Amino acid sequence: MMQDALLILWNYSEEEDNTADNNLALYAEQGDAEVYGRIRDIAKSHQKIQNFIELTGFHARKSQTVSGLKSYGLYAQALSEGITEVLQSYKKTLVEVETLVIGNHNYTLSFVYSYVEKYRGLFNTLNKLIVTIKERRLVGCQILSLIQQYILNGNEMVHEAVVKIFSCVNKVFINQLCTWLLYGELRDPYQEFFIFRNQKDETSDTFLSSPSTNTCDKSLITTLQDTTLDCGYHLNVNMIPYFMPLSLAQEVLFIGKTVILFSYDPKKIKKSNCFITRPVIPLQNCGADSRRFTIWEEKEAEFHTKLQTLKNPEVFEVSNMRSVVREIKECVTKHLWNVAVEEAQLIHEVRLMKDFYLLGRGELFLELLRLTAHILDKPTTRTATRDMNHAFQLAARAVFLSNSADIEKFSFELPYVKPNISVNSTIEDDSSTVADGWSSIILKYDFKWPLHLLFTPEVLARYNDMFRLLLRIKKTQHDLHALWKTYKQSTSFSMCQLHNKLMFLMDNLQHYLQADVLETNFSRLMDAVDRTNDFEKLKKAHANFLADVLSQSFLTVTSSQESDVSGDSTDSLNNPVFCNIMELLKLCHSFCSMGDFAADREAEDYYIRGYSDRFNKLVKQLMQLLVSLRDRPCGVYLARLLMRLDYNRWLSGEAQLTQSVTNMLRY
Amino acid sequence: MPSEMITLQLGQCGNQIGFEFWKQLCIEHGISPEGILEEFASAGSDRKDVFFYQADDDHYIPRAVLLDLEPRVIHTIMNSPYAKLYNPENVYLSKHGGGAGNNWASGYAQGEKLNEEVFDIINREADGSDNLEGFVLCHSIAGGTGSGMGSYILEHLSDRFPKKLVQTYSVFPNLDEISDVVVQPYNSLLTLKRLTESADCVMVLDNTALNRIASDRLHIQNPSFAQINTLVSTIMSASTATLRYPSYMNNDLISLVAPLIPTPRLHFLMTGYTPLTADHELNTAPKIRKTTVLDVMQRLLQPKNMMVSLSPDRTNQHCYISILNIIQGEVDPSQVHKSLQRIRERKLASFIPWGPASIQVALSRRSPYVHASHKVSGLLLANHTNICSLFDRCLQQYDKLRKREAFLEVFRKEPMFRESLEEFDESRAVVDDLVREYQAAATPDYVHWNPESSQI
Repeated sequence: MMQDALLILWNYSEEEDNTADNNLALYAEQGDAEVYGRIRDIAKSHQKIQNFIELTGFHARKSQTVSGLKSYGLYAQALSEGITEVLQSYKKTLVEVETLVIGNHNYTLSFVYSYVEKYRGLFNTLNKLIVTIKERRLVGCQILSLIQQYILNGNEMVHEAVVKIFSCVNKVFINQLCTWLLYGELRDPYQEFFIFRNQKDETSDTFLSSPSTNTCDKSLITTLQDTTLDCGYHLNVNMIPYFMPLSLAQEVLFIGKTVILFSYDPKKIKKSNCFITRPVIPLQNCGADSRRFTIWEEKEAEFHTKLQTLKNPEVFEVSNMRSVVREIKECVTKHLWNVAVEEAQLIHEVRLMKDFYLLGRGELFLELLRLTAHILDKPTTRTATRDMNHAFQLAARAVFLSNSADIEKFSFELPYVKPNISVNSTIEDDSSTVADGWSSIILKYDFKWPLHLLFTPEVLARYNDMFRLLLRIKKTQHDLHALWKTYKQSTSFSMCQLHNKLMFLMDNLQHYLQADVLETNFSRLMDAVDRTNDFEKLKKAHANFLADVLSQSFLTVTSSQESDVSGDSTDSLNNPVFCNIMELLKLCHSFCSMGDFAADREAEDYYIRGYSDRFNKLVKQLMQLLVSLRDRPCGVYLARLLMRLDYNRWLSGEAQLTQSVTNMLRY
Repeated sequence: MPSEMITLQLGQCGNQIGFEFWKQLCIEHGISPEGILEEFASAGSDRKDVFFYQADDDHYIPRAVLLDLEPRVIHTIMNSPYAKLYNPENVYLSKHGGGAGNNWASGYAQGEKLNEEVFDIINREADGSDNLEGFVLCHSIAGGTGSGMGSYILEHLSDRFPKKLVQTYSVFPNLDEISDVVVQPYNSLLTLKRLTESADCVMVLDNTALNRIASDRLHIQNPSFAQINTLVSTIMSASTATLRYPSYMNNDLISLVAPLIPTPRLHFLMTGYTPLTADHELNTAPKIRKTTVLDVMQRLLQPKNMMVSLSPDRTNQHCYISILNIIQGEVDPSQVHKSLQRIRERKLASFIPWGPASIQVALSRRSPYVHASHKVSGLLLANHTNICSLFDRCLQQYDKLRKREAFLEVFRKEPMFRESLEEFDESRAVVDDLVREYQAAATPDYVHWNPESSQI
């Protein structure tokens, strides 16, 4: 009987259970059956734990991996190792009891039970743990957070045991964290860490789902900030241990991404091109490969030790972890600042963006327009890109900029779309479907290495939106100015007047965009840059700058009935103010080309009357838009534009609007 | 090299202000009096090519043509440290050197006679530039050479270069003091006709106002020519600042001029500048400390800073046709909008009732090589209807002389006036029309103004 009891405590199996049941009648003493039952319960739960260990242990993992089965992974293995360690004391107790029982046959079953009884609580807890893991199919960091939840236990023994187990699992976690933070490597064969690498490109998903009515501007800012730091790494929200705040997890993700980013430095990539394919190497060897990790300088060892101390469950606390992560982040951002702002001369590059994309170098673009208006007026041809770039070089030479290295960073592209020539289409059809150069021109910018953090494709696309608008306005203004000398000799007052009005409109629109919008926001950006030396803040300031510029230039979508904010926005821009401005630009364009088709004085008068009516209508519309946009942020900027246009209250008088509109210009 | 300008300096006054202008440009661009770029200026991003061109030996040479009928001023220039700056082929002195005797008719006749030689120089200079935008003519309207010869050149510039802009810096005589040129009213009237008909844009530099500013604002007793000319060169350099220091807008002359001049004949612009300091005041504490955009813009609208003496507008009927402010220095661009709004709300400037008008503000850099005593400075270019009071005064003075038939003999000597004095009557009619058109432009009825009906 005693032997039976000891045996099942060591190793419980169902069959033995059955035989034991049959022998139940043989018990020497009354109540022994009861005690035996209890012992059997303990043995049962021990066996369950043992089963789990076997299932998740090292050997099991190896064999399962080989056979391709879904396995529990590193965390579960650590868990099983931890449990094994904890079970050592149980086994020791059994050995102790066994020797005692063998030495003295007088010991009763309850004596044995008295030894093993204390493990009941522990086994219950462990089993609860195991059951939860199995039921909820927890893996990786989820196991870690589950264990952490069990640490607080009134039972001293259970508490200590769980702490032991936790420290085992925690080691895995800390090691993963450590390689990620310091080397940007994800040593995570079973996808257990809270950061995962997304192999497929799913970035477009986020765009399509995001826009909502009121957060338009906010989402624009985030889109602009959302940079290509992602080398496919994302947060797995389900995996984040519950004790870790989301912000901390994001910081961890950021650090790793940045570290990866530095390892992709084109100057160094040749040396380490084996990086991607290289198998996971032990930490110590990693340190030797230090040329890639110049970020840390001497601090690598320090950070490493600090992270390693977190393995100690006494030290492991979120606040400690946070402070270490913060420290590392500070180091990373400082390095990023050095590389981006000081080595890559970020501030200079931002100024270049303004000079070129935002037409800050007026004289260059004036010359360029002179040289290329004929190219851009027509639908793009195959050679347009080359011609455009050639003209750009000529223009740069003309204004003595050709020697500057900055010029070479910029080039144009006129995407050539093969027109769909169908037999039926008339000439008119063609001209309406094929885009001319003005709407398709792209200014490309070749920036230094880490600056793609700031100038993402999305950001450059927005800059190009601005560029096209500004270029178009400048061209229109230039055309109108070119007519000035001609109309000066004209005797038709109404012609002069219309020309004046259009010129006035273009001049003031440009003044508004360049001074009120661009200069103002740019000086704000420069102030923000001066105040910080944190790259992240700089990035945010830049995103804010661009978002403000876009919304104040009416290039953003105000209402989101249409959901494709992110698409090719040149076509989908439905901002009513922008549409109105585009109509006015078109009007100016046809006015400028009137000389070509208005044959005689009568025809001219006819066209002038038509254009004047259209002008009045559009201006009136613009003013009425102010009323309807009053509550939107866009309305404030429209008011600013209209304040310039209606400076002497003539336009509002002409449009016969009530005084209230003029009063609304007081923003 | 787009948007180049050729400067023509005519007569005593024209050459003097031209000389000051080039001196100022050389300082601002870091070019030595010999035309060599100073070492400290080699990295500048300014556009020297608008007014200078580079000779084969890298010397910077002004696109300037110096013309005079008497040698005195040109000799002074050629004996100054700046003698080597100019292209000697562009300096033209008439051979007999007798001048025009302060006689418009004589200047005009000599202009006609020397026409070939003068236009040879101008043509050569125009051929040497890639994309000439226009001409700047510096002259006075009261003397003989600048007014007479200037008138002839004006008339023929627009014939020969119909697509080029012609801007003039025209010095109007000081009416406060008795001039030694007795025929001044005749000269002025005859020149005004050409300025009205042949120039695209006339920057009115009124000696009366310049003297008043020098004595009242700068506290200089009996201001010298040099001191007055410094004021002029300040205005000339500031009004070309956006051309020479590239920025986002106003990169060519047309973009400065076109918005200011909505109707063809009303192209007489007045200027204002602030803050004004004289050399002797530089060491004392500057009187004007506040240099916000609003302050600068408000001060520019004050008549006392205007460089044209207008008769007071008692009935308050006159108004601005357009305003352009060129503000140089470190300013917060967000202030521009606020200042514009403030001025609009306070109605500090009244505008034409017949068309859109506004204050345009161009922010421009200033030369890094010139120490500025003020953080911000501003230039006002304005088209104001009250400028007709200046022309009206010219008319009155002319009428006074004409009634007495005084000093007409000197004109009758020249072939143009030998037969009749019709030219005078014609000019008077043109200027009178101009005055009336300016008066009409202050009223809403201007839309019905017909330039043809008034011009018979």
